[in-house]
Amino acid sequence: MTGYRGFALRRGGQAVVVVLLAYVFTFWVISVLPGDPVTTTLRNPQNGFTEEEIARIVSYYGLDRPVLVQLLESLGRFLTGDLGVSLRSNRSVADMIGEVLPSTLVLAASSLAIAVVLSFLVAFGVQYLPKPFSTALRSVPSLFLSVPGFLIGLLLIQVFSFGLGLFRAIDTDGPVATFFAALTLGIWVSAQIAEVLIANLDHEAAQDYAGVARSRGLGQVRLLLRHLLKPSALPVVTVLALMIGEVLGGAVITEAVFGRTGIGSLVERSVASQDLPVLQAVVTLAAVVFVVVNLLADLVYPLLDPRVTLQRRPEVGAAA
Amino acid sequence: MTLTSLTGPTTATRRRRTWRVPPTVLVSFLVVALVVGWSVAPGVFSTQDPVNGVPADLFAAPSGAHWFGTDHLGRDEFARVVHGTASSVSSALVAVAIGLVVGGLIGLLAGFLGGLVDTVLARFVDVLLAIPSFLLAVVIVSALGFQTINAAIATGVSAVAVFARVLRSEVLKARSAVFVEAALVLGGSRWHVLLRHVLPNASRSVVQLAVLQFGLSILVIAALAFLGYGDPPPASDWGLLISAGREYPLAPWLVWAPALVTIVTVLSVNRISRWLRKTD
Repeated sequence: MTGYRGFALRRGGQAVVVVLLAYVFTFWVISVLPGDPVTTTLRNPQNGFTEEEIARIVSYYGLDRPVLVQLLESLGRFLTGDLGVSLRSNRSVADMIGEVLPSTLVLAASSLAIAVVLSFLVAFGVQYLPKPFSTALRSVPSLFLSVPGFLIGLLLIQVFSFGLGLFRAIDTDGPVATFFAALTLGIWVSAQIAEVLIANLDHEAAQDYAGVARSRGLGQVRLLLRHLLKPSALPVVTVLALMIGEVLGGAVITEAVFGRTGIGSLVERSVASQDLPVLQAVVTLAAVVFVVVNLLADLVYPLLDPRVTLQRRPEVGAAA
Repeated sequence: MTLTSLTGPTTATRRRRTWRVPPTVLVSFLVVALVVGWSVAPGVFSTQDPVNGVPADLFAAPSGAHWFGTDHLGRDEFARVVHGTASSVSSALVAVAIGLVVGGLIGLLAGFLGGLVDTVLARFVDVLLAIPSFLLAVVIVSALGFQTINAAIATGVSAVAVFARVLRSEVLKARSAVFVEAALVLGGSRWHVLLRHVLPNASRSVVQLAVLQFGLSILVIAALAFLGYGDPPPASDWGLLISAGREYPLAPWLVWAPALVTIVTVLSVNRISRWLRKTD
């Protein structure tokens, strides 16, 4: 078990480093790239900042000091949990994110659930449907991967909202509207999971042990459930964790298409008004979510899959 | 059963040697050639004006005269799609080029030099992977300004990590090969070995990834244009056309024509990438 503890500590340490570096990287992207959006936003008469407030914000962010000092101070604030103040509404960024986070979490969780169900259905279909259907189903993931996510959303709204009247496009947070928004994201994510799952099932079904089980007279369904499913489905845990990033990025588009309020629409508004502290916080938050979820997946994986050993993998070539 | 398993491998190798191209791949190449033609010489494929419309023909449904119908200003939608191709497709090329060069260089250095360089670069790539690529693209394009070329740069930066990863693992694979060892033992310098032996061997999977990323970049740039982060109208990027067409539910062709063009293009590019992977 010390092996596992060492692995967990090492992975955890890496995760912390990556999150901190992600913060620094976003800061760098935002502050080094040309343009001085902070002052343009602050001086914009529409935002109605008084000279006093401007001076306060400028000194809060240390905008009159060198970039490196700004970075260190901002990092220090981040470490104490202070995400800063919006340049546009003069409100705490943490509050703004807290308001819209639940809606996006519901969207992300339901889209992942839909993606898992869809991808398993497609993969089972490919394995067990008769010939013409299974071949057609095999090309479904690559078709889904070629369709822009926003188009799936537009199509769903066109058919189910305008056509069948199942939900009103204005009533954005209702359960039905949420389902179709999640479906939009989920279809796209399911394609990538289904690709892995189909390849794994093909691989496992061609293994000797599957042949032995078949020759012992095991039926197709039992073979799948008892033998093929576990080794094929375990790598999906890793893929699913990697998909978290896609879901958070895709939320920007999906929320725009469905007119939902959430992290995505917050990003869209902040981009339009160049509200950099909000963007910085959202990107860092997304990186934290991604890193934590992948850390959990990595930590759980060796417990699920007895074949995984925790020794440091030797570099390729050293073993040869 | 035994007969097929005996003949299976031989026919497979023979097929690989003669390089038979499946019909779907041929069609895909034709589609890509057509799209390239649209972007190089749009005037050849559509003689109508993409910017100034004919006010008498508002919202004409698709017909022989207007293949994709007309929009709210009486502009021919087909002409707009064709003239928007250059910016939609060439910006995807720019994005792939950035990802390929920057990511490739990172992967090459990390894999070949190893040690501290590898550790530092690996953390950098981890960071890029940890930030959702679309979110990263949005932030970069908002910092650079709303233009299609900036959307392309942003898309390219968000693809850096993938290229770096693949090239690093390919270099590690090649570095441990006997012929590379032989070249080093024979007195080849590290850079000579890297450029003449390691890189050509890694290029195969990188080409296939570049094609895949090309299709993906078209989608990402279309999504950025859809959100309004590309060139403003009267530019006619595919994503922008789809977004503009949304305003007119009674003229559905304004959404579906550019959408179908996008889907068919990306589908073809992905099919080619898949085929390259299989023949590998």
